[in-house]
Amino acid sequence: MCKNMPPLELAIQFHGHICPGLLIGVRAAELAQKQLGVGQDNDEELVAVVENDNCSVDAIQAILGCTFGKGNLVFKDYGKNAWTVISRNAGRAVRIAQKFGSTAGPASDRFRELAGKPNLTQDEAAEKEALIGELFERIMSMPAEEIFTWQEVSAVPPERARIRKTVRCDLCGEGVMETRTSIRDGQTLCPECQLK
Amino acid sequence: MCEANVYINRGSGDELLMEKVDRIVPGEDQSIFMENIFGERKVIKARIREMELVHHRVMLDEIQEVDHPVHEELWLEPATDHGHFHEGEQVTLKLFKGYNMKPGHDCEFAGLKAFIAGNGEAKELHIHDHHGSRELVLGQENDGLLQVWAEEAEGNHRRLASVLVEVGHHHHHGLKPAGLDLEIFPTDYSHARMGESYEIQVLQQGKPVPGAEVRATFAGTHQKDYPHRLVTNDEGKARLFLTARGNYLFSVSADEVISTFTLVKSF
Repeated sequence: MCKNMPPLELAIQFHGHICPGLLIGVRAAELAQKQLGVGQDNDEELVAVVENDNCSVDAIQAILGCTFGKGNLVFKDYGKNAWTVISRNAGRAVRIAQKFGSTAGPASDRFRELAGKPNLTQDEAAEKEALIGELFERIMSMPAEEIFTWQEVSAVPPERARIRKTVRCDLCGEGVMETRTSIRDGQTLCPECQLK
Repeated sequence: MCEANVYINRGSGDELLMEKVDRIVPGEDQSIFMENIFGERKVIKARIREMELVHHRVMLDEIQEVDHPVHEELWLEPATDHGHFHEGEQVTLKLFKGYNMKPGHDCEFAGLKAFIAGNGEAKELHIHDHHGSRELVLGQENDGLLQVWAEEAEGNHRRLASVLVEVGHHHHHGLKPAGLDLEIFPTDYSHARMGESYEIQVLQQGKPVPGAEVRATFAGTHQKDYPHRLVTNDEGKARLFLTARGNYLFSVSADEVISTFTLVKSF
């Protein structure tokens, strides 16, 4: 990569394709950055608490750098398009929620229908492509106030991720985080082998 | 019962299109969205001819896609998926002939020439025949923003293709049109990005062309015809919101000339 990619392109590259859910995540991530005066996370200065596991979360990970692997992405399975971003350095947090129905409409309905079909005809693929274009321009051009509500919240960030010792499972021989093991009949077992 | 059956006339009388429709929403581009009580949905290009509310019937007339004359055009693309070349890198451009960024098969070229702008004048480039396709090999000594165009004359028809290719990481200001008979030129050269609008200007012998229809497409489109059609304003300018990865192609016709401009994107 020769230049710093803009947030939108980062998100598309990370996610693999363009879809309305990802674009909503792009707008949410950029809004969080603006509200908190932050950029992309380097080493857990930011924490994101996401209330869904849909496409938007990939934009949160790519743009904010709050990732599953770093442990600064907390998933709450509420099925809600809402994201709380916490800045440890600023001691501030903002919760952003999508307004109900803010991007709804025939184009969105039809896109969801086509996105759910496993095999599209050539005409349907062309229709889906046109719908993505229409929704893309709409979502990226809408004022943030029309898509989201947001407010500063007092959120306590989780502890920074700790590096734990890796030990050997006595049954399968694979390495396992020490805190995930249990001792049975004098053997140290990984969670998988505990079930055998 | 308040749903209706929707019928469509495709030129040979009304035929049932959808039963038990409970939602009809006219959309943009003369499209009509409909949904029935079974959750089925359709979008069709049509106009509502009549609604018989007592009989729960809605009659549509299909709008036939206008058959735009499919004409062959030339366009240039850099032989890189990177959007630009690096200093010292071999710069090669591919020359295509086809339509809607879909190259035709076994295309023949007649009176083909290619040029590069430099120091206020046009320098002719050699066109290589590379296994049946045409390439412009510009070498490894390039730097900055290269302004390249190709032209083909076939009887009274002329086909023009222009492109701006970046070598190294440069920002350029004050770039001038090449002065082609018919030319599409970016109004403010910069890195084009998805999610942003891109403005071009149509010029004929250097003068802006208001009211010109500019077709726009992108690499890998699923559409049979150009997905975008823009009309230039009083200053000969038109804008397009970029929603696709890869390069875009703009195309305009006037008189016997068809001219394209390839917008090279790095992503």
